[in-house]
Amino acid sequence: MSSTAITLVTQRKPLLKLEDVFKCYAMGGEEVTTLQGVSLQILQGEFVAIVGPSGSGKSTLMNMIGCLDVPTSGSYWIDGQEVSRMKDSQLAEIRNQKIGFIFQSFHLLSALSALENVELPLVYRGMSAKARKEQAQHALREVGLEERMHHRPSQLSGGQQQRVAIARALAGQPPILLADEPTGALDTKTGLEVMQMIHTLHRKGHTIVLITHDPQIAAQAERVIHIVDGQISHTEVMQA
Amino acid sequence: MKLSQAFKMAWKSILSNKTRTLLTMLGIIIGVSCVILLVSVGQGATSAVTAQVQGLGSNLLSVSISGRGVQTSVSFEQAQSFQDIEGVNAVAPTVSGNVQAKNGNKNVNVSVEGITADYEEVRSTKVQSGRFILPIDVDYSQKVALIGTETATDLFGTSNPVGAYMMLNGMRFKIVGLLEEKSTSNNTIKIPLTSAQRLLRSKGIRTIYMQAQTGDLTSIVKARTEQKLSQIFRSTDDSYTVTDQKEMLKTVSSITDTLSIALGGIAGISLIVGGIGIMNIMLVSVTERTREIGIRKSVGAKKRDILLQFLIESIVISGISGMIGILVGLGGGVLVSQITSLTVQASLNIILISFGFSVFIGVFFGIFPANKAANLKPVDALRYD
Repeated sequence: MSSTAITLVTQRKPLLKLEDVFKCYAMGGEEVTTLQGVSLQILQGEFVAIVGPSGSGKSTLMNMIGCLDVPTSGSYWIDGQEVSRMKDSQLAEIRNQKIGFIFQSFHLLSALSALENVELPLVYRGMSAKARKEQAQHALREVGLEERMHHRPSQLSGGQQQRVAIARALAGQPPILLADEPTGALDTKTGLEVMQMIHTLHRKGHTIVLITHDPQIAAQAERVIHIVDGQISHTEVMQA
Repeated sequence: MKLSQAFKMAWKSILSNKTRTLLTMLGIIIGVSCVILLVSVGQGATSAVTAQVQGLGSNLLSVSISGRGVQTSVSFEQAQSFQDIEGVNAVAPTVSGNVQAKNGNKNVNVSVEGITADYEEVRSTKVQSGRFILPIDVDYSQKVALIGTETATDLFGTSNPVGAYMMLNGMRFKIVGLLEEKSTSNNTIKIPLTSAQRLLRSKGIRTIYMQAQTGDLTSIVKARTEQKLSQIFRSTDDSYTVTDQKEMLKTVSSITDTLSIALGGIAGISLIVGGIGIMNIMLVSVTERTREIGIRKSVGAKKRDILLQFLIESIVISGISGMIGILVGLGGGVLVSQITSLTVQASLNIILISFGFSVFIGVFFGIFPANKAANLKPVDALRYD
């Protein structure tokens, strides 16, 4: 069993690679180091959970992986491109093309309909209105919200809002889905539904990086990376 | 991102916060409409005063004699001889004073001007009914008179004064003509110059109006007239003054230009205040929408995209406000001209300038907050609550 798992791992190519990443912040004149030399690799099609208590630096790590922030030192590659040396506009393109975000508090734009929210990444890709609409509708169909596409986020339940957010993450068909406590703002039942959807996406071949503090949720991943005090303490490989 | 898409996005966000948009627009609307209204009033005043000065007569020169010592005036014959100055078209010497005019028990104190037939042309003063003073009236000191509209109403009420008689300081005059409505002559009575000399018991002429043949000749005629006057008065040049209508116009227009600038300046300040309002709202809106900026950036909006969105928003807001401001300003102008006696004259220039300025303000005051928004790091923007 374990040998097949290893051969499977070696067949996959690394999609994300962090090498000795440090992140320091100036906080009230004091320098705080939240990441202290993190190195990790995530392979194509993998489902990885990053867990750690609050203040462990897992959110900072997620911001790094999601290209929302740049490391103070160390290097970071996505798909063979060195992201840590990129300019702001290039980072925006990477976020647009390679990463789909699923946030704890959904982060939908309240003035826009579900469909328009899902279209947003495609707007910044410069797609034509027609192609955009088709692709966004397709993504909404995948999360089962096609008939609600003209609703505003405020007219949707929490679970539905998170599904719209997932559809937005899927719309641009990015190789990486980055989920930050995706069930954190949901009740147990809808949380389960959302997790099921993430599993489905994983089975369809998406690479999934899940950040959570909940060990139960983390246990559903293939691999769990534990972060304590800005460093990787240990990595568990789960049995499927 | 395409520009058309950026426009759509800006439009949507303008519509999604109507109160805020309206409040912002109000500043610019008031600013632009004030500029248009006040400058229009200023320009209206300029053209009204200019028209009045020109209405005094075209290519007009007026000679007024204050006199010194023995000689304090010129004689009628001397005045008429100004006709021979090269470039002079006509000369209208006058004597003037105040008399008591009486018709039955109605009785007014009114200014009387003794004139000649040429006065009609030189001062462009016409009668609306009856006839003007003729040369023969002057030659024979006829007791005939022209009456201004207000004096006519004072003395005769609504009945036609032409053909009627009135007493001027006890002398009986027949009214032969009713003068046209003109602010400078509504309250006067005009009689033949020779009759006025008797009535007012003053032989000397102290005011002479002259008309140059063309507008270009007025300054030359003025110089020649001064030369002739200096011969009469033996070089005491402060005993007479010759005023050129052009000079009067210059003086008047310098006053009204100052007025226009002052009014425009006040209005310009309100436009700037409106612009600061836009900047203020844009800054608040950027802060309010920090999370939105974070979300947009996390799905791939570049700095340029955010900048464009906010910039277009402020341009659209100020452009629309500018247009509404133009309409309000023009409407206000019409209203002012109807309610008050002010003349209002809007010019295309000022409309274009104030519109251009309002859009410029939109861009100028939009850039600063837009730039602030675009420079936010996505991670900081997302964390903002």
